[in-house]
Amino acid sequence: MNFGQFLLRRLFLMIIVLFGVACIVFFIANIIPADPVGAILGGNAPPEAINRLKAKLGYDQPLIIRFGNFIAGALRGDFGVSLKTSNPVMKDIMNYFPATMELAIVAIIISIFLGITLGVLSAVHRNKAIDQFSRIFSILGVSMPVFWIGLLLLLVFYFKLGWLPGGGRLGFFTYPPPRVTGMYLIDSALAGQWDTFKEALLHILLPAFVLGYNATASIARITRASMLDVLKQDFIRTAKSKGLKRNVVIYRHALRNSMIPTITIIGLVFGGLLEGAVLTETVFSWPGLGRYITTGMLFLDYPAVMGGTLYIAFIYSLANLIVDILYALLDPRMRM
Amino acid sequence: MKRSFMLVFLTVLIVAVTGFAATPKDTLVIGSNTGIFITMDPAVAYEVLPNKIVAACYAQLVNLKAIDGVIVPVPDIAESWEISEDGLTYIFYIRQGVKFSNGDPLTAEDVLFSLKRPILLDSVSAWFLVDIFGINKDNVDEKIKQIDENTITITLNAPYAENITLGILSNMFTGIVNKDVVLANEVNGDLGTAWLADHSAGAGPYVLVQWERNNVILLEANPNYYGSQPPLKRIMIRDVPEASNQRLFLERGDIDVAWDLTPQLLTEAKKNPNVVEVKVPGHSNEYLAMNASWGPLKDPKVREAVRYSINYKEIVEDIMLNNAMLVQGFINKGYFGYVEENPFYQDIEKAKALLAEAGYPNGFEVELITSNTDTRKAEAEKIQADLAKAGIKVNLVIVQSSQMYEKYRAQGHQMIIAGWGNDYPDPDNLAMSHASYRANQLAWRNAWYDDYAATLCEWGQIEPNQDKREQIYKDLTEYWFHNGPFAMLYQTVEFWGIRKEVKNFEEAAFGYGMLFDFTKVSK
Repeated sequence: MNFGQFLLRRLFLMIIVLFGVACIVFFIANIIPADPVGAILGGNAPPEAINRLKAKLGYDQPLIIRFGNFIAGALRGDFGVSLKTSNPVMKDIMNYFPATMELAIVAIIISIFLGITLGVLSAVHRNKAIDQFSRIFSILGVSMPVFWIGLLLLLVFYFKLGWLPGGGRLGFFTYPPPRVTGMYLIDSALAGQWDTFKEALLHILLPAFVLGYNATASIARITRASMLDVLKQDFIRTAKSKGLKRNVVIYRHALRNSMIPTITIIGLVFGGLLEGAVLTETVFSWPGLGRYITTGMLFLDYPAVMGGTLYIAFIYSLANLIVDILYALLDPRMRM
Repeated sequence: MKRSFMLVFLTVLIVAVTGFAATPKDTLVIGSNTGIFITMDPAVAYEVLPNKIVAACYAQLVNLKAIDGVIVPVPDIAESWEISEDGLTYIFYIRQGVKFSNGDPLTAEDVLFSLKRPILLDSVSAWFLVDIFGINKDNVDEKIKQIDENTITITLNAPYAENITLGILSNMFTGIVNKDVVLANEVNGDLGTAWLADHSAGAGPYVLVQWERNNVILLEANPNYYGSQPPLKRIMIRDVPEASNQRLFLERGDIDVAWDLTPQLLTEAKKNPNVVEVKVPGHSNEYLAMNASWGPLKDPKVREAVRYSINYKEIVEDIMLNNAMLVQGFINKGYFGYVEENPFYQDIEKAKALLAEAGYPNGFEVELITSNTDTRKAEAEKIQADLAKAGIKVNLVIVQSSQMYEKYRAQGHQMIIAGWGNDYPDPDNLAMSHASYRANQLAWRNAWYDDYAATLCEWGQIEPNQDKREQIYKDLTEYWFHNGPFAMLYQTVEFWGIRKEVKNFEEAAFGYGMLFDFTKVSK
């Protein structure tokens, strides 16, 4: 199979996956016994008003017709109009997504940095204090719920110590930088507004750490295991016996060779970050796509929930596609 | 590697300790879950808090004010009014010299346009006009008219008592919009509703300058407001979805008002000397309702037995932590017609005797449905335990709110715990919903087809004499207490945690649910 065929096959698979997600999202949203019209109008609204709104929103049509309309719209990138904001859902997504993307990017940077550092240190100092610390840190990371650790850190770093802000993307009285990418760190840097940049950085630290905690833990564990493997190998012994410095052996020889599983796991956890954003954004009052979907759910704003979920699935599969293509380019065996 | 790590850590530490300032003196910062906010268009806005924010941006045809603890309609853009002999037509005289926030004069033409908008838009909040006043798209031009350059008339389908008509017209949908500005921003014949969702074009004390959804809403004082300038130049509503975070922000002084604290969080927060609690009576109630067409509940004696089985005091004190008032009639405290008497208390012997008289000496089994909030669940469990003492076995069904209401609307429940939020400050709204099955509301949902009660409701609606009206509602309440399908649990209380430097908040908040007067707050 040549590269073109591989690419076509991958694209076809991606479409199937997205269609599957669309089906699941649509039918979950429409089969659960909840009534969006009732939710908009409140429990005490008169039945006449309810019927009027049902007709207006098209909820009186059969399920299959609504599904057809949904798929046809989704193909054009049109997820309909949000019941809540009255905006086209795609417009809302474009508005909220940069905040989520920025959070996820900073989270993955923190996770990679912390995770690899911890992984390497605990492999090198196996079963010493740092390794034990790293083990406990990682177990907590994969087992503690995001909202709980988020609240706990807010309590310490915002409430008790006052070192970091308590939520939001910027201080209450700071205007956002002129919008280019919608990511405040990049936009404020582009505009040369360094005070705003500093504020945005402070605001993103805790939520990004919390969002990336789980990923940090996974990266640390994988790096440790893979480092231990590599450190046992002959070429490390050779390097050591050549008289190379300890740090050179660890970082230049061992770490570099142990990175492949780490990179794989980074690709995987990045998708998890987009998904974890739903809770993190609520705890940290972060106006991103996760919060958009959560408020949509509470409000039974189906177009928003379906559109937002499908969009995240799209980004996730796109990220996977890119990773696969990179692998294929690097390693021809993958194209089989 | 180690060095670069230390560098980053130090940088973070240095920028971190620069600290965060308290809120400015001329700005009120509110922390609230704004996730439910939909639109700032006065013709469409319907939720409680969003409505009050919209109300700050628009002058209305008539407005509400709390006078001596009773909420009454007062003139706003309608400086005065007259009622025709037959009680059907209201003639409103428009206040002269009022300007919109952009400096345009406010004319009767703007008023006419604004009053028709909700109907032409099929707005949710227009149901008052459509379903009560009988004004719809087809007859709106006949029913709402401009007579001359400062007179507007509205013609109703029945001679409602003045307090009802004005109470309904004090709802947000009579907020007056600037016709020229709105039409200039019209898209595809939407009467400007998309634009008005996050802009304001009104003549109220404030102007909406920014709404970034799920983030911040910012109001600034309107320099052209016809009344006196409010003490606070800015009102900022920050989206803080988690109530526990609102508490942290409040105690740290980053916000002045925490809008959605739970009773428990308020109890914790007020231990802080900088935090004060504010409570005012709410305009909602919480009740246990019994489907009068189902099994044993058909018998009024059984319903009375249920009412004597519940320990109301413990619900108010232990579940609501006193953030509720023991009111057993359907008319809220603060309304005329309110009956002070609370006839019911827990008396298990009496309940058992009533059950025996009704032919259920060993009790019966019944299903109680309610929605999945912590409060409702606690109330359901409490009632389950109380009724068990009288021998009634209650099976709880806890579902999502919209699912519960779907069942309720179809009369599909046996017992239900739910609540009613009042729409206009007149006992008519409460009487019609709780006592008249003909209004197709709560009484109908509970299959209480009582013509005596329904007739009293309709009489009260059109009786022009206020004293006679009051007597009608008192008689109705007495009858309803012992015959109706309800056990009223409590009237809600609205509560906030605020910083101690915020002044007159209680006065501004009195009547919340119906009104909130931001112009009274200062710092």
